[in-house]
Amino acid sequence: MSVALELRHVCKSFGTFHAVQDLSLSVPVGSVYGFLGPNGAGKTTSLRMILGMLLPDSGELSVLGSPSAMAVRNRVGYLPEEKGMYRTMTAVEAIAYFATLKGVSGRVARARARDLLGRYGLGAFADKKIEALSKGMGQKVQVLASIAHDPELVLLDEPFSGLDPVNQEVLEEVIVDLKARGCTVLFSTHVMAHAERLCDRLIILGGGRGLFEGTVAEARRRMPVQIRVEWVDPTQALESLPGVRSRTRQEGGIWCLELDSGASAAAVLEACFERSLRLRRFEVRENDLHEVFVHLVGPGAREATLR
Amino acid sequence: MRNTLLIAVREFLDNARTRGFWFGILLVPLIWMVASQVPLLLARKGTPTRHFALIDTSADGRLGAVVSGRLKEVESRRENLRFREWVAPRLRSDQPLSGLDPASRPWERLQQELTPWMKDDAGRFTPPEPLHRRVALSKELEWRGDRGEFEARLRDWMREDRTFRPEGSDREVSLFAVAILEEDPASNAPPSLRFWSVNQADTQLRERMGEALSREFRRREYARLGMDPVVVDQVEKGQARVIGLDPRKAAGEERVGAADLLRQWAPSAFVYLLWIAVFGVSQMLLNSLIEERSNRILEVLMSSVTPLELMAGKLVGVAAVGTVMALAWIGSLVLVTFWMIHTSGAAALAPDSMVTRLPIELATLLGDSWLLPAFGLYFLLGYLFYAGVILALGSTCNDLKEAQNFTGVIALLMMVPLVSITFIPKDPNGPVATVLSWIPPYTPFVMMNRVAAHPPMLEVIGTLVLLVVSDIVVLWACARIFRIAVLRTGQPASLAQLLRWVLGR
Repeated sequence: MSVALELRHVCKSFGTFHAVQDLSLSVPVGSVYGFLGPNGAGKTTSLRMILGMLLPDSGELSVLGSPSAMAVRNRVGYLPEEKGMYRTMTAVEAIAYFATLKGVSGRVARARARDLLGRYGLGAFADKKIEALSKGMGQKVQVLASIAHDPELVLLDEPFSGLDPVNQEVLEEVIVDLKARGCTVLFSTHVMAHAERLCDRLIILGGGRGLFEGTVAEARRRMPVQIRVEWVDPTQALESLPGVRSRTRQEGGIWCLELDSGASAAAVLEACFERSLRLRRFEVRENDLHEVFVHLVGPGAREATLR
Repeated sequence: MRNTLLIAVREFLDNARTRGFWFGILLVPLIWMVASQVPLLLARKGTPTRHFALIDTSADGRLGAVVSGRLKEVESRRENLRFREWVAPRLRSDQPLSGLDPASRPWERLQQELTPWMKDDAGRFTPPEPLHRRVALSKELEWRGDRGEFEARLRDWMREDRTFRPEGSDREVSLFAVAILEEDPASNAPPSLRFWSVNQADTQLRERMGEALSREFRRREYARLGMDPVVVDQVEKGQARVIGLDPRKAAGEERVGAADLLRQWAPSAFVYLLWIAVFGVSQMLLNSLIEERSNRILEVLMSSVTPLELMAGKLVGVAAVGTVMALAWIGSLVLVTFWMIHTSGAAALAPDSMVTRLPIELATLLGDSWLLPAFGLYFLLGYLFYAGVILALGSTCNDLKEAQNFTGVIALLMMVPLVSITFIPKDPNGPVATVLSWIPPYTPFVMMNRVAAHPPMLEVIGTLVLLVVSDIVVLWACARIFRIAVLRTGQPASLAQLLRWVLGR
């Protein structure tokens, strides 16, 4: 598996504030990689270091095989968190301008700009000035500007923020299309649903550190399995069930059982049958990424927000 | 290099597409045209005919005749001048006009002489309405021989701003002035003029009358003393021959003429242009940088280009805008001057006069002298200095409001060369000019202003080297600040912080 982007023990501080601490990650070529974390987790600083706008205090980076993104900048696309464009340029001009800065010839850049605008629903606005477009449209134009030079690696910082649900779907389509043609995509987000749908791998950052790195399934497994059970005859026998870490009584006589790490729901069900417990309900709840995220970064993020 | 050029081209086009750019280009020739044409236009069309009455109390009515004669003389000169303007575009340009001296002929005669050379559809000239027309007073204001009594009636009448219909006129007019001419036949005292008017701003008529009376008095006195008035007239016309000579000019060409005056003062005009150009384009640079910062475009740019490429691109792009503007101003000044002189008729009837030759002299001056190269050089070096400072400070500001704190100080510093424009040409190599020349932010303006006075070569080279070194230092410091500040958000940096960035601490 070849690697498009790799960070090894990267650290960055601003004065006494440690923005990124000992961050390591590896993004395979052609994958979609999620960069998750609460505000102030170090996502933007990490992206700026990847792009060579900031230099790490320590650690190593490899971007498309180069230690500096500036050396391969024409093969990298970037959409910053704060979106903005030249207001007096038309959509075509703006996309083409940024593509030419990435080494594409003017003629090819304009043709690609029109093609992209048409493909993603902005064909009718190609010759409209940015100032005449809605905020969402302007943001889509900026996304297209970051990929018009046909990059091998695309870094998108909070690409979904500010977009309505329809345009969020269009952006998801853009990311899927990029992946389909072999491009590596790394995007940061707060919205776990996008990461669950799109990411092959992801990292969850908190307080400048990597708290988890792996696939979505691996992330889900980080949380204990929960089972909701309801007995016909309330009994004390459930206390002796194997692998149950805790049990909480909920409304309507339903119990929520949280299993130990590594314990299986099937073993619990088997034990119920062995003990002849009559069940009315046995429901295994699948953890979603949102819960994993809150579980990992929750307390720290709250503190950071209140600070 | 390619990216620098791309940024420069975008910067240029972005500015060139604005109304402000075209307004800036048209503004200078427009001001020049308005400043020179409006007073003429107002004089021609805007001044109405003023009606005045003349009361001559001299025994033989001689004073009134003298004053009327003088006013008639002035009026016919005005008609002649207007005729010249009228006839110029109506002449067939291929016909020779030599041998005609328009100053010596009344327009009626000149029109007769020029008829063979005039275009077929030229038509006939209509003389303008006179500036001042003498009218007889109405019955209620008639002169009854007692000045005190007359003036009492006149004062009341004029205060009420009344109108009346003069004899032979078909409309009511207001009375601009009443002039009472007096003299004491028993004494040799000069005659007096009592000039009643509610308009004290227009003194032209009063001065002309006073001048005519004074001249008449002197003529009479010379005669009384037994001197021939004709001889006296000739003597009075005599003037000392003043010849200005410049030792720096080649032998036989030392005489200082109007062209030399132009040479001496033209640099001052160029300093104005330089100042407007440097200040204007520095402001453009700041606006463009602040737009990119506030619209968060800089971060996208910084993922594509290095800070140095971005800075250089912006500097070159905006410099190109400034150069186009300055060239357009200089070119249009020459063209507008040429057009004004051509349409005024002076070119056709007095081809060798200084006025006619002004645009040619100006063009020759620009072609032959160091003015244009000096302007180009000092524009570039001055621009780089101020642009460097503006870029460094602007890169730390989030919006125009924050930036104005800095630009206010810069504008204040830039007032010094503006103030010095008028006094430096009078003492171009004096101590003030010399000291100001060695202060890098002022060097471009002050040295440009001294260019005609041939400052010592050592000073020219020394100040130039100092300015180039200062530009390099400013741009180096700017680059160091720019690369850090450009992605920074929050409060603008303090001066101490800027210094730390420059020193790399």
